[in-house]
Amino acid sequence: MAVIITEQIEKIYNPDKVPVHALRGVDLEIDEGEFTAIVGPSGSGKTTLLNIIGGLDTPTKGKVYIAGTDISTLSGNGMINFRKDHIGFIFQSYNLIPVLTARENVEFIMMLQKKSKKERDQRANELLDAVGLHDKKNKRPMELSGGQQQRVAVARALASKPSFILADEPTANLDSQSTADLLDMMAELNREEGMTFVFSTHDQRVIDRARRVITLIDGKIAKDEVR
Amino acid sequence: MMILKVAWRNIWRSRVRSLVVIGAVLIGVWSFIAMMALSLGMTGGYVDNAIRYQTSHIQIHHPEFNEDKELAFMIEDDLTEDLEAKSEIVSTAYRSIANGMIRSSRSARGVAIKGVIPEQEERLSQISEKIVEGTYFQEDKNNQIIVSRELAEKLKVRLRKKVVIQFQDLNKEIVASSFRIVGMFSTGNTMADLASVFVLQDDLNELIGKDNALHEIAMIIKDVEQLENVQQDLKSTYPDLLIENYREIAPDVQLYESQIYVSLSILLAIFMLALIFGIINTMLMAVLERTRELGMLMAIGMNRIRVFFMIVMETLMLGIIGAPLGMLIGWLTVKYLNRTGIDLSGFAKGIERFGMDTVIYPSLDTEMYLQLMVSVLITALLASVYPAIKAIRLRPMEAIRKL
Repeated sequence: MAVIITEQIEKIYNPDKVPVHALRGVDLEIDEGEFTAIVGPSGSGKTTLLNIIGGLDTPTKGKVYIAGTDISTLSGNGMINFRKDHIGFIFQSYNLIPVLTARENVEFIMMLQKKSKKERDQRANELLDAVGLHDKKNKRPMELSGGQQQRVAVARALASKPSFILADEPTANLDSQSTADLLDMMAELNREEGMTFVFSTHDQRVIDRARRVITLIDGKIAKDEVR
Repeated sequence: MMILKVAWRNIWRSRVRSLVVIGAVLIGVWSFIAMMALSLGMTGGYVDNAIRYQTSHIQIHHPEFNEDKELAFMIEDDLTEDLEAKSEIVSTAYRSIANGMIRSSRSARGVAIKGVIPEQEERLSQISEKIVEGTYFQEDKNNQIIVSRELAEKLKVRLRKKVVIQFQDLNKEIVASSFRIVGMFSTGNTMADLASVFVLQDDLNELIGKDNALHEIAMIIKDVEQLENVQQDLKSTYPDLLIENYREIAPDVQLYESQIYVSLSILLAIFMLALIFGIINTMLMAVLERTRELGMLMAIGMNRIRVFFMIVMETLMLGIIGAPLGMLIGWLTVKYLNRTGIDLSGFAKGIERFGMDTVIYPSLDTEMYLQLMVSVLITALLASVYPAIKAIRLRPMEAIRKL
């Protein structure tokens, strides 16, 4: 079943002054359980596409369906609430709330979903165990390494039971070992839990691990290979 | 509540910056309390003095007496029993008053000659406690007079010297009699002290030519809060008499009482305004430097209402943490100064002339602390709106990308 469907999406920035065509008609379908990388040089529209399927931006034209919902019709708090329940985000940095511990960061999103304290506790513990941070649960982000922070971000993204996880350059600030560990962990979650992952990346190490690589050039899909 | 926890911890991210705001609130609240207590102590002293030595709480006169001060405008009814029966009234003094001259061999002045019953005045006006030379009225002596020390100086007379008082009696004949100064008083209010002298009622009434001449009934009541009720009650019983409370008798007292509140309110407004700008400045900084983090929070699903609430809570906490501590220090300061008093005599020589005590006892009602707390709360709430709006106007995508 398709988690993400885009239909002929176009994005034009500055339509009145100096129009910039970031996306020129992208048709895309990503199924449940995929482990997919979206790649492309700077200016290829990669980030724009990611923002649009992440519900952070809206297309100028075309439609986006996430888990069956047309999100181009949502706005404001509707969109925010949709993201909360359907999309797990992992950013390059600034993923975590610095004043909260690892456990509290994972709990936070469940608090937004109005889950009970008991459920939050239990799930936060399970997830932090699953990402290998069972002994760092009460550390604040400042006290964790970059790799550990990204693991907390993965746990946080999973906590809300999203339809898919969108990872925007998740390894950009990590060393090779941390990158390998993080990718192993995400691949395992993908394999065992069936969680769908969509990456945007420049990182060859990530591209090598992806099972589908979508290459964008000049706002269009230039290549779509499944390995 | 997790958002409250986040808000609270956020305050401590910029420890120094937050402490500056907290310190400002603390010092502001503290000094405001001290100033308020000082002002109210000053007014309180002034009003108390005015009530004690001049106006009492309520005075009763013939309706025309105040305008003409004529001997003929007497209180004819006998109110004694009725007034004694009223439990709200603590003490009462009955006076006859003649306006005339007091003369020494050197000088003369116009004064109100008050014929009093010594025991009544002792209870009511406590002039007996303000005798600075000589004694209060002594028994079995005729023609005693008590004048203020200031008046004695003007007349260039000393204790136990004779003075002559002189006025028109009921038949418009000039009457005069000599009195011996047995005591001199000083209440602290020079103006008022110069205006009155006290003699025994029997002596004065003899000169007036009427045994039971009565021009003024002054009383002190138990509870000032009940002032208007008591006054109203008397008015309805004695519609033909002029019954005034101290605010009506001495409008300056009322002006003073109300003016102090006005000026304190203005001061409070200025204090709040300065505080608002301080808090807004700090919170705006806090919001702007957290742009990316706020963007992230909105991206992962924290809606605008929650972001708004978080910033408001953060601002509120920042704005009011300092207040209770400032109040505690303020309260202790006021408590201490209330015990020791602040002696202004050293550098405010003229202050007595205005009827103020030279030693001020600052004091403040609990109500005032509450009002101040509410003011700080409102200030913080007002200050929180702009930064919170600023925070929710952020577009998460743009905020996150701002690298």
